[in-house]
Amino acid sequence: MAYSDKVIDHYNNPRNVGSMDKSSADVGTGLVGAPECGDVMKLQIKVNPQTNVIEDAKFKTFGCGSAIASSSLATEWVKGKTIDEALTIKNTEIVKELSLPPVKIHCSVLAEDAIRAAICDWKKKQGAEKPVAAEAK
Amino acid sequence: MTTKSAFTGISTKPPAEENHSCWSCGAMRAAHFCESCGKVQPPAPVDYFAFFGLPRRQLNLDVAKLEKDFYELSRKLHPDVSARASAQEQEWSLEQSSMLNDAYRTLRDPIKRTQYLLRLEGIELEEQSKSATERARATGETKKQIVPPDLLEEVFELNMQLEELRAQKKMGEDDPALVEEVGRQKLELEERYDGLLEELENYWKEWDVLIDRGPEANAEERAAVAKKMVDVLNRRNYIRNLVRDVTAVLES
Repeated sequence: MAYSDKVIDHYNNPRNVGSMDKSSADVGTGLVGAPECGDVMKLQIKVNPQTNVIEDAKFKTFGCGSAIASSSLATEWVKGKTIDEALTIKNTEIVKELSLPPVKIHCSVLAEDAIRAAICDWKKKQGAEKPVAAEAK
Repeated sequence: MTTKSAFTGISTKPPAEENHSCWSCGAMRAAHFCESCGKVQPPAPVDYFAFFGLPRRQLNLDVAKLEKDFYELSRKLHPDVSARASAQEQEWSLEQSSMLNDAYRTLRDPIKRTQYLLRLEGIELEEQSKSATERARATGETKKQIVPPDLLEEVFELNMQLEELRAQKKMGEDDPALVEEVGRQKLELEERYDGLLEELENYWKEWDVLIDRGPEANAEERAAVAKKMVDVLNRRNYIRNLVRDVTAVLES
């Protein structure tokens, strides 16, 4: 199977590889996997709590070229977006951008899952930071 | 109701609604050859289990007998045997032959057999994952990862170690402590890999008991066992990749 030029480009020059401090309050971490092929993908976002804008994103993926390209593209796309905007990213848009063949669609699903998981983790942290007074008995 | 075919030696259980007569002599036929005149029959649209005349969707099967049946049928379906038959019969032989090979390769392998059965049961893993993502997008609910999070953590961490070891080896200065640690993990992973097959075989037993009770009965219980098998296969994929990658790095 031939990879598209965009996949090869992301594979050879992945954007935003790395990691951020998982325990930091403004960092959300998503760790997801595609058991069909045994891939793992970690995507982290750093969110400005005042504006809800994703100021930075990092990823580390162990998997095939399409999984790496999908997560690399995902970090590019979420950067500068608000949390709500990032939640509208669809795996089909990743498929289209990278011209992924049908057998690699699950890689794009994984990238979307990773974005959602990271945002969910961040939201949880924000909730924990501000304990609700009504809960006190 | 089990009939023994005189020509194939394979017991077959033709489904009641699919009783065919031989195209050549009109007698009731067995799966692959007519019991009466021995002519090859057109391939029937059956699953691999039925192709070999095995009990319906049972996971525990006699692999030695499967192999014996395979070789016997291969011989009978060989082009040399039907060389003097009509063009139509030769075509049927060829089609039967190709299905025979696919069926045998699938059923003899415990993992492929399980995956095939799950597909027959309508369980499409990738499709499920995709629709779960779409649901999460539409409702804002969190998609539940099908692999336990601690396994994902473990896979991620070990991959990080492997990456480090690969880099060290490239420089020709691998850290003996890291080599030892990865080697220890390799042994542990291989053990878990074998253990997962045993776990899977236990679910086969549960499955076969349920199937024995009839095709329509206890759909919920069957779905629960199918889910456990899916779980094992998923975890096994990760462990398989890790064993492969760890071995490659240690041997590099």
